[in-house]
Amino acid sequence: MIFLYIGLPLAVSAVLPLVGKASKRVLPDILANAALAGLLVYAATGARALLAQGPIVQQVRWLGEAVNIRIALDGFSLFMLMAIQLVSLCVGLYSINYMEHYGAKANYYALLLVMVAGMNGLVLSQDLFSVYIFLEVAAVASYALVAYGLGAEELEASFKYLMLSVVASAAVLTAIAILYGMTGALGFDGVAAGLRLLEANTVTGIAAALFLMGFGLKAALIPFHAWLPDAHPSAPAPISAILSGLLIKVSGVYAIARIFYHVLGLTPALSQILMWLGAVSIVVAAFLALGQSDMKRMLAYSSISQVGYVVLGIGIGTPLGVAGGLFHLLNHALAKGLLFLTSGSVQQATGTRNLDEMGGLAKRMPWTAGTNLIGALSISGVPPLGGFWSKLIIIIALIQSGEAALAVIAVLASVLTLWYYLIMQRKAFFGKLAERWVKVKEAPFWMTAASVLLALLVIGVGLWFATVFSTWIQPAADSLAKGF
Amino acid sequence: MTFQIILLVAMLAASAFAILAKDLLKAAVALAVSSLILGIIFFRMGAPYAGVFEISVVAGLITVLFMLTIALTKQGDDVRESKTVKIIFPLFFIVFALIDLFVMRGILARIPALEGAAEAGTFGEVLWKERSFDLIGQLAVILAGVLSVLALFRKRDRHDHE
Amino acid sequence: MIMNEWVIYLLFAAGMFFLGLYCLLTMRNLIKLFIGIEIIGKGVSLILLSTGWARRSIFLAQSLVVTYIVIEVSLVAVALAVIINLYRTNQSLDIRSLTRLKG
Repeated sequence: MIFLYIGLPLAVSAVLPLVGKASKRVLPDILANAALAGLLVYAATGARALLAQGPIVQQVRWLGEAVNIRIALDGFSLFMLMAIQLVSLCVGLYSINYMEHYGAKANYYALLLVMVAGMNGLVLSQDLFSVYIFLEVAAVASYALVAYGLGAEELEASFKYLMLSVVASAAVLTAIAILYGMTGALGFDGVAAGLRLLEANTVTGIAAALFLMGFGLKAALIPFHAWLPDAHPSAPAPISAILSGLLIKVSGVYAIARIFYHVLGLTPALSQILMWLGAVSIVVAAFLALGQSDMKRMLAYSSISQVGYVVLGIGIGTPLGVAGGLFHLLNHALAKGLLFLTSGSVQQATGTRNLDEMGGLAKRMPWTAGTNLIGALSISGVPPLGGFWSKLIIIIALIQSGEAALAVIAVLASVLTLWYYLIMQRKAFFGKLAERWVKVKEAPFWMTAASVLLALLVIGVGLWFATVFSTWIQPAADSLAKGF
Repeated sequence: MTFQIILLVAMLAASAFAILAKDLLKAAVALAVSSLILGIIFFRMGAPYAGVFEISVVAGLITVLFMLTIALTKQGDDVRESKTVKIIFPLFFIVFALIDLFVMRGILARIPALEGAAEAGTFGEVLWKERSFDLIGQLAVILAGVLSVLALFRKRDRHDHE
Repeated sequence: MIMNEWVIYLLFAAGMFFLGLYCLLTMRNLIKLFIGIEIIGKGVSLILLSTGWARRSIFLAQSLVVTYIVIEVSLVAVALAVIINLYRTNQSLDIRSLTRLKG
């Protein structure tokens, strides 16, 4: 029952506020995390078995009548589902401790589950308009989650995020209307077939540009990134993790990939545009990250930069490039999620996000420091962690396609990435333990556990990258490349 | 068709007034009028359901929420908008309108379209049968909205995180 | 001819987009910015409905518009909640007072 991915989180989240009235602490936590864990297990085991028989299209039955809910699961969707459930579960576990003093935890978990349901629905949709609806579901939940602390900074960030998102939605809907006007269909297959018949390149180009504007804003590609450096740092740490780790990729990169490959068709022009957009994001964001003294802000700019890598990989268009991009998507989701979670641990322990005020925290918070280091090394592309392999694959794919300039840019930017992450490590964790931090304690159990879990995944994906690649990434890349 | 164009112009005018008005209450009313006109436009296109929704929800519900917000933020009326912005507005608008007309003229024959099949069934059937997935999405987004409002207006205890 | 009339609707919808964007770019009062969001929403509804109308599938168009309006209501509820909270924290609706973040 693939519909479970949307139905279960929604059902649980509807019930959670009531449960929260009865039991403030234990029950909501258990319920929410159990739901996420269940979905993860289903994705890892059951769904894979189903998939072995080919892409699944599910026709849901309601009270005996066949209701027209067509959701389909192919390699790409399954890969995204795995990534979503993995990171969401870790975020859910982490929130057990972190959201203690924010109040109304049941409500928080409910919003989190709605966001997960929205993301799941997005990757399962087979229809342009459904993609839009679930994008909005996840977005509306995220506005409230960013503003959850109700402080001036987060409210401001949430409002600016909201304003820009509305413009993005308008762009996406206009593009959908154009495509619908031309082909009379809203489903991926229908529109793709219609466009092939029509061959209307200019108008399709306009639609593509609008899609890029809208989804590019959601993915925080430069020049549409303005909201991210404010929203991600101000949000509570687990929300930053899920926003940077998942939402920008699901509502941004996944949508672009799905629509450009399955609906519009990747022309050489589009490929070049995607690649250069990606490259610009990589470089500009990396430079902007260098100058940051706010730990989470640096991580936010790094997200923009790494999403650039993913878009670059996907834009290459060759199977290897796409696979590299998707692999990097997974690596970044895991590692950035991990980094934001550990930064939250640091923020909770020390009360500050300013790197210049920290120092030597590794001595007092060894687990946090260690896992943070692993995440940083993975993103910077240090072997044998995951990020190294995915970047290598992207670079090889670039060279194979003859894009030498971009390959050089990718390599150099990787060095930059390593540099600013080392700065973060040195300032926050290593060096002399400042006076005021002598008394800080390691993060509470669930926060550390979630960080360790993600760190193990990061290491695992790196060490066993060949298996991960062939079981998860290759099918995803294949299904993306051949069309549904 | 000419009446539609008059209505469209009126809608634009009401919206422009809503933006430029100094008094927030007048702006709210102008916005409601604009929604009303849009609803009538929908009716005249043969879309009664969309028209009803637009009028009752956007011109009705959203205006009420809007007024509620204005009431709760009474002192905020003193935000002085920049005068220059209001003066250059007509200029920008005219430039935009010219570009718009020009582009639309060019598009006029250019957008190719496939012939579509005639639509079968009633509105109810289309909404419930064909777009049922959207209904789940609607439920989800309403749930998100309700939860968000609950979360943003929650009671904060003394020892809350800032 | 339906095509010609469709283009007229697109023309006006673009006009609404322009108004909305102008509002978002230049206005300082948070509630005015919210009006801008609303106007953009109207433009979108118009585009969706007129495209469906031009293709003579008025029912599908109405379904899309109805769904979009529902989404818009949720968005409005959250936006207003944020605005009210901002007012309570800053005692002002001026967007210039939101200078904590540099973007």
